[in-house]
Amino acid sequence: MSHPPDRPEILDSDHLSTRTREILTSRLSVSTAQPRTLSLRAYAALDALLPVLLPLDEILPPATDIAMTARIDAALSGPRDGWRFADLPPDAEAWESALLTLDDVAAEQHGLAFIHLAPDLRGALLDAVMEGQIGLEREGRLTASQMKRWSGDLRGEVVDCIMSDPRIQQALGISSSLTGGDTVFQGFTKVGSDSREDFEPKATAPLLQMAESSE
Amino acid sequence: MSSSTLMKTFAKTDIVDTLIIGSGAGGAPLAAELARNGKTVVVLEAGPAFPATGHTPDEIAARELYWLHERLSAGTNPQAFGGNNSGTGLGGSLLHYGAFMPRMDARDFHLHTETGKGVDWPFGLDELLPYIERVESFIGVSGPAHYPWDPERRYAYAPPPANSAALKMREGCDALGLRHADGPAALITRDIEQPHFGTRHACANCGACHQGCRNGAKSGTDNTWLPMAVAYGAELRPGCFAHTIERDSSGRVTGVVYRQNGVEHRQKCATLVLAAGAVETPRLLLTNGLANSSGQVGQNYMTHVSTQVWGEFDEDIRPNRGYPSLTITEDMMRPKDADFVGGYLVQSLGMMPATWGQNLARSTTTRGPAFARALAGYNRSAGMGINGECLPRPENRVTLSDEKDAFGIPKPLIEHSYGPNEWAMHHHAARLMTQMWETVGAKDIRVIDRAAHMIGTCRMGADAGSNVVNPVGRSFDIDNLWVSDHSIFPSAAAANPALAIMALSLRTAEAMLRT
Ligand SMILES: Cc1cc2nc3c(=O)[nH]c(=O)nc-3n(C[C@H](O)[C@H](O)[C@H](O)COP(=O)(O)OP(=O)(O)OC[C@H]3O[C@@H](n4cnc5c(N)ncnc54)[C@H](O)[C@@H]3O)c2cc1C
Ligand code: SF4
Repeated sequence: MSHPPDRPEILDSDHLSTRTREILTSRLSVSTAQPRTLSLRAYAALDALLPVLLPLDEILPPATDIAMTARIDAALSGPRDGWRFADLPPDAEAWESALLTLDDVAAEQHGLAFIHLAPDLRGALLDAVMEGQIGLEREGRLTASQMKRWSGDLRGEVVDCIMSDPRIQQALGISSSLTGGDTVFQGFTKVGSDSREDFEPKATAPLLQMAESSE
Repeated sequence: MSSSTLMKTFAKTDIVDTLIIGSGAGGAPLAAELARNGKTVVVLEAGPAFPATGHTPDEIAARELYWLHERLSAGTNPQAFGGNNSGTGLGGSLLHYGAFMPRMDARDFHLHTETGKGVDWPFGLDELLPYIERVESFIGVSGPAHYPWDPERRYAYAPPPANSAALKMREGCDALGLRHADGPAALITRDIEQPHFGTRHACANCGACHQGCRNGAKSGTDNTWLPMAVAYGAELRPGCFAHTIERDSSGRVTGVVYRQNGVEHRQKCATLVLAAGAVETPRLLLTNGLANSSGQVGQNYMTHVSTQVWGEFDEDIRPNRGYPSLTITEDMMRPKDADFVGGYLVQSLGMMPATWGQNLARSTTTRGPAFARALAGYNRSAGMGINGECLPRPENRVTLSDEKDAFGIPKPLIEHSYGPNEWAMHHHAARLMTQMWETVGAKDIRVIDRAAHMIGTCRMGADAGSNVVNPVGRSFDIDNLWVSDHSIFPSAAAANPALAIMALSLRTAEAMLRT
């Protein structure tokens, strides 16, 4: 199923080129029907991992789902960024192995699949991964040092997904997509502090409301 | 490029005077200079021809400007490639470079003589300066009326307006008693008619230099040298990945085999110039087993120490707006309290959100609501970063890995580890920039340890035993093979590199015309 797009206002700005509008709009409706890259088990683990890594409830309106898991899974089969750590396998394989490692470790430590762990236990496992304390020395799984490396890739991928989402840009008041339209390339007239131009979004994220009201 | 419709084309059976692999900072000026002097020139470029108006500030889509053939990164400081330092397309990495355009410091040409460490260049600034000035005046560089570290210097264009980060860094410098100025930037601040290209518009302060400039304000090779080359009869062939260098029985180069749209082609040439960048140039030489009697191909891989320090302010900073890195101080080129050799430049930093978020994500391990709050701090963030000397070290190099790419060619393995000098510089810079941000009221200050650029690997020098090319860029082993790109730098030098690469490219072209 795909979720009804909540159309952010920035998409209707004339400071957006047609191409950029199309790119951003495409992120509003992502098919979540079937994993494209990961196995169902790895996909489910990722889906359970993302909310403990980066919860979005203080940024987006309630019940907004930006389909992060599906988008990351799809991105893993798309063009990558041209390099990888030599001590990790190719990206799609590294992600599959990392997520299965996490799931196996959850089962060994807690007798439950990762997806069935309470959020604080999932968080604790993620912390241990980031500290290089969790890994498995067997085929198709990652060692502790590989898991630590991968956790950097995981964090980076999540950020790419978030910061390039028009709903997040709108909520955080980010005007980076609004560099100029097709016929008029407006750029920015004001570039100093505390000088938001009228066409730039104001932050709406609940966690930024306090800050904005003092503007 | 507006003039490409009129472009002359050559038959593959023609023996062109010069075949150039790569159309970036090293390849393009030389292509223009040789064509202008009547040579027949073909440029093979692996990437596409991007129309400038089609660039998008969307950081994910703008990855189309990156070199995406996978590289393997190892060592204790494995380097990020892609967006960090490798471009593709007609224009090379200058399509998405930051356009910061300082000149090399005269002392950096003689680091070994000065300190006993690193390597000297085979000539000094006086030799390169005329070429530097030609590059600046032809491509268009903006800068201040008075440059504190070189009062004689003049720039043809006024600086763009200072954004929040640039203004904050000025305050920080003032507080610590450091001199600062608007840095030289390769962009124009009034509309012009660029010879052989057409109209280039003034910088619109859009802030998306790293995603490609949409109005021609940023001075790359796509809107300067390449149209000039075409106007004088050069042929540019985008989408052509060169892989095999062919030779005759005497060992001289006779042509190059490349793949275009899945089909193999051969172009014959009298002279070959490698300008594929400091990873792909040694990779081509290593896979073809060429020009390596010194054993130095792929060795002496260097980067720039590129430590960043970010802070959050109480104001609405909006770091995506304006030319990203305007303020500079050169006061750290030889700091009095240095526990390292060489020096570094400090530059203010604005940044687009995903790139900024990546830095944050990879340099911390926060998670949960704290991570969300950190990312939500984007609009209040300003940064500073350095570009500093990096010494060559035997363990830092480009070699061929055991893994093959889609073309069946080994993927390059790049090993990169900081030595004591790089770490000392990193810590010095981190302390200084942290202090600057603290003084002007920044909170949540975050140090990011990173390296940028790809340097060395086909070193230029006088001695054939320890260098790959001679002081004008010609292979010691094969007399009709030349290298013109970032790989020939004997030392990293602190300055952002594109200006010196372009200046060296003109100088190599002159040497080729003499032979
Ligand atoms: C994000 C970013 C920001 C930067 N900011 C600055 C800055 O502000 N100031 C500055 O001075 N420098 C900056 N740089 C660095 C600067 O862009 C590079 O140092 C410079 O472009 C290197 O020149 P080059 O000729 O060695 O290689 P490139 O400019 O990278 O050109 C190499 C070309 O060769 C092509 N190629 C490679 N292999 C093959 C092959 N086998 N067949 C055909 N074609 C091939 C590539 O596609 C590419 O187009 C930045 C770089 C990046 C990526
Ligand atoms: S800030 Fe200026 S030079 Fe940079 S991309 Fe925008 S218009 Fe071009």
